[in-house]
Amino acid sequence: MHSRVTNLAAFLGFGAILLALPHTLSFSQQEILVFLTINVLVVASYRLLTLTGEWSLGHVVIMGVGAYASALLSKRLGIYVPASMLLGAVTAAMVALALSFPLFRMKGFYFLIGSFAAGEIIRLLWKRFREPFGGPKGIKKIDPMPDFDIGIYAFDFFEPISYYYFALAVVGVSLWVMWRIERSPVGLTFHAVHWQDKLAEASGVNVRAYRTLAFVLASGFAGLSGALLAHYIGTINPNSFDVEQMVFVLTWTIVGGTATFYGPILGCVVLTILNEIVLREAGFEQMRPLIYGLILILSVLFMPKGLESLVRGALSWRNAGKKKVGETEATE
Amino acid sequence: MVELLAQTGLNALYAASYTALVAVGLVLIFGVMGVINFAHGELFMLGAYAIVAVYADWNLPYLVAVAVGMIFVGIVGLGMERAFFRPLRDNPLGGLVASIGFLMILQALVSMGFGVRMEHVPPVTQDVIVITERVRLPVFRLAVILAAVVLLASLWAFLKKTRFGWALRASAQDPEAAALQGISINQTARIAMFIGAALAGVAGALTAPLISVNPHMGHSVIVTAFIVIIVGGIGSLEGAVIVAVAYAFVHTFVTTFFDGVIADIVGLLLLLIVLIAKPTGLFGSTDRA
Amino acid sequence: MAPPVLEIDNLTMRFGGLTAIDRLSFNVERGAIHGLIGPNGAGKTTTFNVVSGFYKPTGGEVRLRGETISGLRMYEVARRGVVRTFQHSTLFAELSVLENALIGTHMSFPPNIFAAMAGVDKANRRAARARAEEALDFFGLSGLAEELAGDLPHGHQRALGMAVALAARPDVVLLDEPFTGMNPEETGRMMELMVKLRNTGVTILLVEHDMHAIMGLCDRITCMSFGRLLAEGSPQEIRHHPDVIEAYLGGARHVA
Repeated sequence: MHSRVTNLAAFLGFGAILLALPHTLSFSQQEILVFLTINVLVVASYRLLTLTGEWSLGHVVIMGVGAYASALLSKRLGIYVPASMLLGAVTAAMVALALSFPLFRMKGFYFLIGSFAAGEIIRLLWKRFREPFGGPKGIKKIDPMPDFDIGIYAFDFFEPISYYYFALAVVGVSLWVMWRIERSPVGLTFHAVHWQDKLAEASGVNVRAYRTLAFVLASGFAGLSGALLAHYIGTINPNSFDVEQMVFVLTWTIVGGTATFYGPILGCVVLTILNEIVLREAGFEQMRPLIYGLILILSVLFMPKGLESLVRGALSWRNAGKKKVGETEATE
Repeated sequence: MVELLAQTGLNALYAASYTALVAVGLVLIFGVMGVINFAHGELFMLGAYAIVAVYADWNLPYLVAVAVGMIFVGIVGLGMERAFFRPLRDNPLGGLVASIGFLMILQALVSMGFGVRMEHVPPVTQDVIVITERVRLPVFRLAVILAAVVLLASLWAFLKKTRFGWALRASAQDPEAAALQGISINQTARIAMFIGAALAGVAGALTAPLISVNPHMGHSVIVTAFIVIIVGGIGSLEGAVIVAVAYAFVHTFVTTFFDGVIADIVGLLLLLIVLIAKPTGLFGSTDRA
Repeated sequence: MAPPVLEIDNLTMRFGGLTAIDRLSFNVERGAIHGLIGPNGAGKTTTFNVVSGFYKPTGGEVRLRGETISGLRMYEVARRGVVRTFQHSTLFAELSVLENALIGTHMSFPPNIFAAMAGVDKANRRAARARAEEALDFFGLSGLAEELAGDLPHGHQRALGMAVALAARPDVVLLDEPFTGMNPEETGRMMELMVKLRNTGVTILLVEHDMHAIMGLCDRITCMSFGRLLAEGSPQEIRHHPDVIEAYLGGARHVA
């Protein structure tokens, strides 16, 4: 019971920090904070996809599907923006469902190449069909979030701070849902499919269906993050969702490590802060791809389990220290 | 109509020549090292920039620039082998991801060195062989085709006739047995990486005067190369050459009669269909799959 | 007399030019411990793979209680009540012992993602947990529930493999070489557990090399050689069957 109280206190404290955070930042830093919040959802959804063991190179394109769908639905059909965002997420999930039929006949790096090819096809369709996708120039003047007032706070979406609160709420709820799923029997089954798909199947698990479920769910959340992005920046084009963006997502995920829920989020936050504070302040902003490429290689080489392994290492070291005092090791 | 077909066929032959060089290099690296080099398109791009630097900027002879490009990119390949493919030998997906990181590095370095704008390389020769009124073959394109044929034939001779070639083929077929035969895995990996990278570099160098050179040009090249090596059967050099030619024809004809983006989509769909139907490709064996 | 629970009827499995199983037929009676033996390469594991749905047979069929199950996917076979274990302690090594057993309860308590998000699947989770704990208890693993499966000693890993299968409440379990790598003491304990399992009404079909265990445990034995049925009978009959002796002596070099 005591730990529940401390957890609640820690949660509230953390929430308060997140709410107060933008007020300590400059306007441009607030904008970066919005992107960071959206990117946290992208990496968390990417980890959900990797839970069943397959790594996709099409995740950013699926995010783009959500962005395009939400942008078009609001612009062409006049659908209320928050509703179009949800529909964008649904569209991304549906596209992923359709893609799962060819893709889940493949495994390992065939899946990587297959997902890359599928993503490229979608990007080429955006490029090719000016109607409705706008061709290489993409979609401009995407409807912004309409302002609204919830009594205690009036959202004015010309201010990044308002959009940050809105994105924080959407991303927070999404993360909570993903967390619930992972901690449920469904999440356990995802892990089982990852570690021993044959044994899982012999236990009656429809492995293909679970892989598809993880892929579709992850794609839905990626689509939602794309929609959040589209209505914030107001213009998207096929190159907004190219390999370079995928490399960023891969780097955050691998640097963070996929063994835990917070790993990729940690990777995303740490690298973004590093990027904004170190690179931008030092005037090395154009070197971002270079640095990311380097970090990606170094982390694959020297930190195969990611940043979270450092955190866990520190925690277990602390716990081991505690254990020595009172109890002996139970394992042989 | 016949003339249009003939002209398109000639264009396809030219596209086939450099595509084959890139794809064969990629297959060679995969065969010997068991890893997909995602940065292969950027090696092509480096070869093209070697021409920009050596031929266009320093005004050295074109052939010297091609040789410099080929060797320089080959050496970059050696560096990649040593820096990450070798330490990640037991982790092919790790190798692939590392090569994606390297792709970003190469793009960024070239952007910083040359800028992101398109570079136009002055033509080497503007002579054209006029076959009929509407069928023309620029001499330079013919030279690229011949160079590719000569390079692929030399590679074939090297693989079939020399001791190094024998070692390479042995370790591509069965790395463990090859190691037991006293073949050094590190050495075969170095040779494969050097040749594979050099082939991509020379392909970039050869085509540089005919295309617009920019830091992101590797992307479409790697997409094409993936299509070719997957359809051809990943690991099969002959398959890669045959499919490179066949695909270049399909792509060129679809581009001529529809448009380039549709042609790319057709190619990628082809790749997906082959991955679904026969993941080892049309000419592939299941050895390394 | 009760009909056989499992009928293997004229089963054939070819890989390219190689015939791994050649018109094999035998029945497994309800409630029996049935052994499948034969020299290395006889096709025992391939037979398991076909029965469990891992491979689709080239010819012939497998029937469960009269219903054809050959050609079904592995999870579909499992859902009809045939659950298998694998060679070499195949487990979810990265998951805890209890979580391993929970995967075994997947069919009885299928997870529902909406219920899980809404938090209304508590009863289901409790029941699954009770079932998993019961299976662990059956194999004497209760005290190890929170350990990582990969950290268990070998004998416990084999027992956990069977606990995962038991948690699924199968009618028939297929055990692939359950005694491999066990010392005589562990083998003896495992044999007791199998008899105990059979006494709960589960039919057991097992592939095994340990002749001592097979002869002491099985009610009936089928012996294969080069993909074909060589002999079938009680342990006594198999022990003295001239063809079996011939096959084992002829194959002794390979066995060693």
